[in-house]
Amino acid sequence: MILALETSCDETAAALVEEDGTIRSSVVSSQADLHARYGGVVPEVASRRHLELVVPVIREALEQGNASLDDVTRIGVTRGPGLIGALLVGLSAAKALAWARRLPLAPVDHLHGHVASLFLEPGPVDPPFLCLLASGGHTLLLDVQAHDGFRVLGTTLDDAAGEAFDKGARLLGLGYPGGAAIDRLAREGEPTAYDFPRARVPGLDFSFSGVKTALLYTVRDLTPKELERRRADLAASYQRAIVGALVDRTRAAAEETGAGRIAVVGGVAANSELRAALPDAALAPLELCTDNAAMIGSAARFVEPVAYPQYLALDAYATSS
Amino acid sequence: MGRGLVLAFDTATEVAASALVDDGEVLGERTSRAVTLLEDVDALLRQAGARPADLGGLAVGTGPGSFTGVRIGLATARGLALALDLGVAGVSTLAALAAGAPGALPVIDARRREVFVADPAPRALAPDALELEPGTVCVGDGAVRYRATLEAAGAEIPPDDDERHVLRARFHAALATAFGPAELVEPIYVRIPDADRALR
Ligand SMILES: [Zn+2]
Repeated sequence: MILALETSCDETAAALVEEDGTIRSSVVSSQADLHARYGGVVPEVASRRHLELVVPVIREALEQGNASLDDVTRIGVTRGPGLIGALLVGLSAAKALAWARRLPLAPVDHLHGHVASLFLEPGPVDPPFLCLLASGGHTLLLDVQAHDGFRVLGTTLDDAAGEAFDKGARLLGLGYPGGAAIDRLAREGEPTAYDFPRARVPGLDFSFSGVKTALLYTVRDLTPKELERRRADLAASYQRAIVGALVDRTRAAAEETGAGRIAVVGGVAANSELRAALPDAALAPLELCTDNAAMIGSAARFVEPVAYPQYLALDAYATSS
Repeated sequence: MGRGLVLAFDTATEVAASALVDDGEVLGERTSRAVTLLEDVDALLRQAGARPADLGGLAVGTGPGSFTGVRIGLATARGLALALDLGVAGVSTLAALAAGAPGALPVIDARRREVFVADPAPRALAPDALELEPGTVCVGDGAVRYRATLEAAGAEIPPDDDERHVLRARFHAALATAFGPAELVEPIYVRIPDADRALR
């Protein structure tokens, strides 16, 4: 059984995952409320909270999984990419656990973790497939041919899709996190009310800075009263532009690679318009779409584990090389 | 005291210090960087012919120092404590430095042109704002870095290679008295996050 830890951004998470992909337990302590007052994730605030929560979430995962550390045969942990100070909390705790118990350690790439959320029981989705990974930190198109990795086909040149939702929500006065708030309000609005631009970048890459700027200018030109009246239309049109860009590129990538199947992972997979626009896409359950440790445990099954004592000097990395 | 084998470490400053102490007898002491701390720990136990399960307690430096460094030490201590069911004692990095240099004032580099000192509670201030009795001996990486400023204020700073500037984890072990639940050992950050300052 794998004990997995995830502390790359603002969720402190631990999970127990069996070798066959069955989740024994998955505990996620979200810091969203903590960061709401800043309007976004503050790395130092997140790192401090991870230190407070990392052992409590491990204890909780063991308790919920009706297991003890004696049942754990391997430690899986997110090594990057993410907030370096946050990653180092989870990695330090994971190394300490592994060293004390003489267990092998599986260092997991966070993006691989998101993809591997699809490999969990029940109803795993097996490669090959084309994967759209869209979250607050990432927007990527991945060609997934095997369980142990992927090829990057496209990425965002500026903001991540989830970040664009958060920034848009802030412009519309909707609070943080913004994805769910925009999704909710957009249902009451007219998606064609405003013609926000979709980025024209070559290839399979994304750009969301243009649509964000367009929203900024539009909001700035409205009186508070007008903004109040048009808020739902703005949310619907803004969402349409972002989701449209995601869907266009995903379909183009599927065509280019001849992928028979499309999968969507990451927090933005919760967006109802995106789900409706890609009806045949494979989706992980919502609680596995946002950051969690079960997906890290899942990826750990396919990573070459590092034996004691080779991992003792292992460092975290902030960005993918 | 019967604590037996105590593993002590401190990763708050640039140089990570670790030591293995058996009922007051120092079995080994090492220095490296925070991220390679466990390599040192592993080597210390191997040299002593000990296994992780033989440990009787942990003494960990709680800062002040680099935020990330302090957290690496505490996250490591909490992970070890959970895995081995060990009690943990927190020792201020300033107190450990002071224990290695009797009579001296420990000064830790706090970056941003500030230093950490115990006053008596730890705080951060600009080196030239430090009020010193003439002839006060200052030790630590902050004393070395701001030698000119501190000497101008009347301090005496030992040569850069004087060992009193170096944090040694044997002193954490010596100062560790109350071993308790790891979660109760809290980091000494001194500073609040910049984002909180901005909100005020
Ligand atoms: Zn993520």
